[in-house]
Amino acid sequence: MKKDSAAKLLIYCSLGYLALGMTLGIVTAMKLIWPAIGDFEIMSFGRIRTVHTNMVMFGWLLQADLGLLFFILPRILHTKLFSEKLGMLMAGLLNVALLGGFIGILTGHMKNVEYGELPRPFDILIVVCWVLFAVNVFGTIAQRKVKYLYVTVWYSMGAVIWTTFVYLTGNFVSQLPGIQGVNQANLIWFYVHNAVGLIFTPLGVAAAYYLIPKSLNTPLYSHRLSLVGFWVISFTYVWTGAHHMINGPISYWLQTVAILFSFSLIIPVVAVVTNFFGTFGAAPRQARMAGAVPKLLLMGTIYYLFTCLQGPFQAIRHVNVIVSKTDWVVGHAHMALLGAFSFYAMAGVYYAIPRIIGKKLYSEKLANVHFWLMTLATLPFFGILWLSGVIQGFLWLNPENTFLETLRIMRPYHGIRMWSGALILASVIVFIYNIMETCAGKGGDLESTTT
Amino acid sequence: MKKFAVEKNMLLLALGALAVFSIGGIGSTLIPPLVDKSLVTSTSDKPVHQYTEQEQRGIEIYKAEGCVYCHTQQIRDMVSDQKRYGWRLVDAAVSESWEYTQDKYHFLGTKRTGPDLARVGGKYSNQWHWAHFKDPRNMGEKFRSSRGPYESSSVMPSFKYLTDEEIKDLTAYLQTLGRNKNWRVDSNDRPLNDYED
Repeated sequence: MKKDSAAKLLIYCSLGYLALGMTLGIVTAMKLIWPAIGDFEIMSFGRIRTVHTNMVMFGWLLQADLGLLFFILPRILHTKLFSEKLGMLMAGLLNVALLGGFIGILTGHMKNVEYGELPRPFDILIVVCWVLFAVNVFGTIAQRKVKYLYVTVWYSMGAVIWTTFVYLTGNFVSQLPGIQGVNQANLIWFYVHNAVGLIFTPLGVAAAYYLIPKSLNTPLYSHRLSLVGFWVISFTYVWTGAHHMINGPISYWLQTVAILFSFSLIIPVVAVVTNFFGTFGAAPRQARMAGAVPKLLLMGTIYYLFTCLQGPFQAIRHVNVIVSKTDWVVGHAHMALLGAFSFYAMAGVYYAIPRIIGKKLYSEKLANVHFWLMTLATLPFFGILWLSGVIQGFLWLNPENTFLETLRIMRPYHGIRMWSGALILASVIVFIYNIMETCAGKGGDLESTTT
Repeated sequence: MKKFAVEKNMLLLALGALAVFSIGGIGSTLIPPLVDKSLVTSTSDKPVHQYTEQEQRGIEIYKAEGCVYCHTQQIRDMVSDQKRYGWRLVDAAVSESWEYTQDKYHFLGTKRTGPDLARVGGKYSNQWHWAHFKDPRNMGEKFRSSRGPYESSSVMPSFKYLTDEEIKDLTAYLQTLGRNKNWRVDSNDRPLNDYED
């Protein structure tokens, strides 16, 4: 089978889910302003919102990251992908699992696992895909032609190993008979937080560790910092699930442990971010400004730093009293997955697709339009969610404000949220159009030396 | 720069990453229920409510509709939660882990687009819930007084598409919420259920 065919298929499919998933996000935001929109069974808020989160997380981001790793790993390890056929099979099964799961959610069969709502048997199919992915990752590493494993490989392996346990705990152990109440909640939040922390973080950081030095043509700033980042994150991230229940009905000591580890996450994040900024700093100015790839990587790193400073901050008990359960939380989740890791993944798509198909990017100008529109739209989008979250939190402190009054005060903020969200969707459509035209060969041929 | 053995040995790296991860994995999932019995069994002398078949059907609907994404079920250890979700000048009791031990599915939630439901049981009549599920912004003649603010501000979806039986099941479940603690009692310690049918 042709080189990179699995990577190509995964990336193409992910772009479809990106457009669809974001559109559903806009529908969700519209429902907060005009609840009568789509007010019928399969478009009900609870279902559409859930398909939105699952679609952008697993249909787009996970799928794009898997595709990018299939592109990156063979290139770092100076070998081919262990098996393209297995990769194609995995891509096919993954899309069957996702589509089936989304239909399951829409028809009222979701599990009570946030981010893991895909019902049986589709979550079992996801596990099968993960095993196939693991075989390909480890197989490729085993047949490598280089001696030392680069940081990207560490994170890829980490993601494969950690996700196995995280996914099984959240989707299967938590559903066993006898696992009930707050004990179940604890297992599910272990999954929810680590879905972001030990699936999307290592996959995204793995891609960035390859893309930043490569696209800037500059060596990585510090090998030692990458060691610190990797080993500290693998120890600390896993403890933080209980910070979703601060001041809630779970053991006080467990909350405290989760808060302390949430704070210690600053160490690996600052190590990684310093490493990335250091590499940017050492690169020549033209390289930093050359097209959308380095810009997306830089902005993604800035958002990564912000979201990871925000996380520990909101885990402080007294801050949590204000911001927990408000729109702030939504802003935090979006900044990590849309701000940091989707920016990285889009940079990856811009980098990988021309090299896979041997065609130039259709339009550098459109790529810049995409970058600037998305950056300028995400800033008010995140900003308004935090601002409205803080306002909401303070309004709730006073029991004199009825809940309905606080909802009325939120209306203008929900409006800004929807309109800035619509701009983000517009920028993403520019992105997808650019990639489609590239695939059609409208950018012309790429010189073979740069693949 | 010195390189470590773990950087060239795939197996060593994999085992290392797994070992470092599993300390926290075990510490944050297996240890808590062993240390704190109240996560898994009732530590109160009061029995925890056992759901009837009808209430269990209601729980399945609550799950399928994704109610948890807008409604939390936890009165946190905060005066503002206790006051807001109290009733008739009585503060709502803080939620404790043993109250949830009979819940096959947890619905603690992370986001309050709507109000918390941990202590909603008994606060509103079944007819009110019926009217509210049918159309949260227009509950008809009987609940006219609340129409204004609901009409202008409520963003809850309507659940017209549920069958009458399903709405009854869901309501039966909602009426159980928060009853494991007798937080509303009269001077003779009898539970106050003044809003039930």
